[in-house]
Amino acid sequence: MTPLLIGQIVLTLFVFVMLLNSAAVMVYVERKVAALLQQRLGPWRVGPRGLLQPLADIVKLMFKEELRPRAADAFLFALAPMIAATCAFAAFAVVPFGAETTLFGWIPEGLRLQVADVNVAILVVFAIGSMSVYGIVLAGWSSNSKYSLLGGLRSSAQMISYELSYGLALATVLLLGNSLSLTEIVNRQAGTWLGFIPRWNIFFVPVGFIAFLIYMTAGIAETNRAPFDFPEAEQELVAGYHTEYSSMTFAMFFMAEYINMVTVSAVATDLFLGGWHGPLLPESLGWIWFLLKVAALLFFYVWMRWTLPRYRYDQLMRFGWKFLLPVAVVNLLATAAVVLYFGL
Amino acid sequence: MASFYLLGTIAVVASLLVIAQRNPIYSVLLLIASFGALSGLYVLLEAPFAAVIQIIVYAGAIMVLFLFVVMLLNAPHEETEHDLRLHPLVRHGPMGFGVVLALILVVELALALAGSRPDRFGSAAATSVRSIGRALFTDYAFPFEATSVLILVAMVGAVVLARREPR
Repeated sequence: MTPLLIGQIVLTLFVFVMLLNSAAVMVYVERKVAALLQQRLGPWRVGPRGLLQPLADIVKLMFKEELRPRAADAFLFALAPMIAATCAFAAFAVVPFGAETTLFGWIPEGLRLQVADVNVAILVVFAIGSMSVYGIVLAGWSSNSKYSLLGGLRSSAQMISYELSYGLALATVLLLGNSLSLTEIVNRQAGTWLGFIPRWNIFFVPVGFIAFLIYMTAGIAETNRAPFDFPEAEQELVAGYHTEYSSMTFAMFFMAEYINMVTVSAVATDLFLGGWHGPLLPESLGWIWFLLKVAALLFFYVWMRWTLPRYRYDQLMRFGWKFLLPVAVVNLLATAAVVLYFGL
Repeated sequence: MASFYLLGTIAVVASLLVIAQRNPIYSVLLLIASFGALSGLYVLLEAPFAAVIQIIVYAGAIMVLFLFVVMLLNAPHEETEHDLRLHPLVRHGPMGFGVVLALILVVELALALAGSRPDRFGSAAATSVRSIGRALFTDYAFPFEATSVLILVAMVGAVVLARREPR
């Protein structure tokens, strides 16, 4: 085995473990930030400053009883959480998170910090995202419970509606980056305008910034987060699609939601925030910038959840189809005109 | 080659199982599996763009709608008895009608394959998104635009059918 191959395998395992960890960390962050916004202390008892809380949560989940309603479709009931978790992990495979590294000269050729270098990466992220809806829909249907079914139906309607705006925001970046490869899109954002504004797509006003807003809004809907968390709206649907799930199968949905958040934030970082490019640090330490940007976006997500109340379902649909989609289309046309006119 | 046979087998077996299912939800899922295998075949043909589009459009969008409709209507298990509301041509022999349709499909497929030229696209031309886009908007501009009009007509038709007259 060549060092490059070993490096590749280690990298794959590393990404897998880090995604698992990110879900655990996000559980803690979510509770702590919620506490901060509500002027409480949050988790405090388990470990110093409550840091071991995720561990306690995991132990609790593992020792819970695994239940399945008698009327449920056994095969699909078991399959649904697997689809959700698999899609969540798979999407990150094509996301680059740093420049090429040689690991202090240990590897002769440079190793790309990206599990799979696909030249249509941006579309792969979109495709896997569009597959992840099956986990939720099938969970809703196979549970054979009215709350679950309503959650599943809402989820499919919501994800179809917001996928269009999401895709159009991606297409806008694709025009600005002139490529479907995430690595190339990131590399085109290196350097600065006028010497101090980073050449990030978000600063390509107005089209880049509008695309960023559309992407983040649609991203919240795609990951079923508040204020768009209709598939699991607890006041109306108990817990929506995962009402009948318990123990580790519930944990898989929970984990998938947080990993999807991380992926959406990581892709947003690559598409709009210049990926691993940033001032002060050398390119080999660019992953630090990447982590900081992803962390900022994740904080934004949690902040939104605990600040905004849930919309009404018809408001969500009207907003998606009658506001977000037309804005995204006009923005895409404007971007195309700009790119064509200035020959970018 | 092994992966070709594996994916091909999955695609064919899954497609056959689609019509063998009593429960429409399983039919939809098997069709998705078949699309997934087809997408894998596109990857083997070094056409990643076609592979991803296959997943996004068919598995990701169209089949979600199918599943949505099946779930919303909560379609019962299929009845095998003859339905008297059907047209007389197909009422007594849905099987025979199906066989005729299948034969037409096979003949058309054979004609299409006989008339096709595999050297039409170089391997590079078929894979690069740029060249696909260029081909769509130059050589194939008319079929491309005609298809879009066709889809628009279907959309308008669906709206007209779904719209209730105000009383």
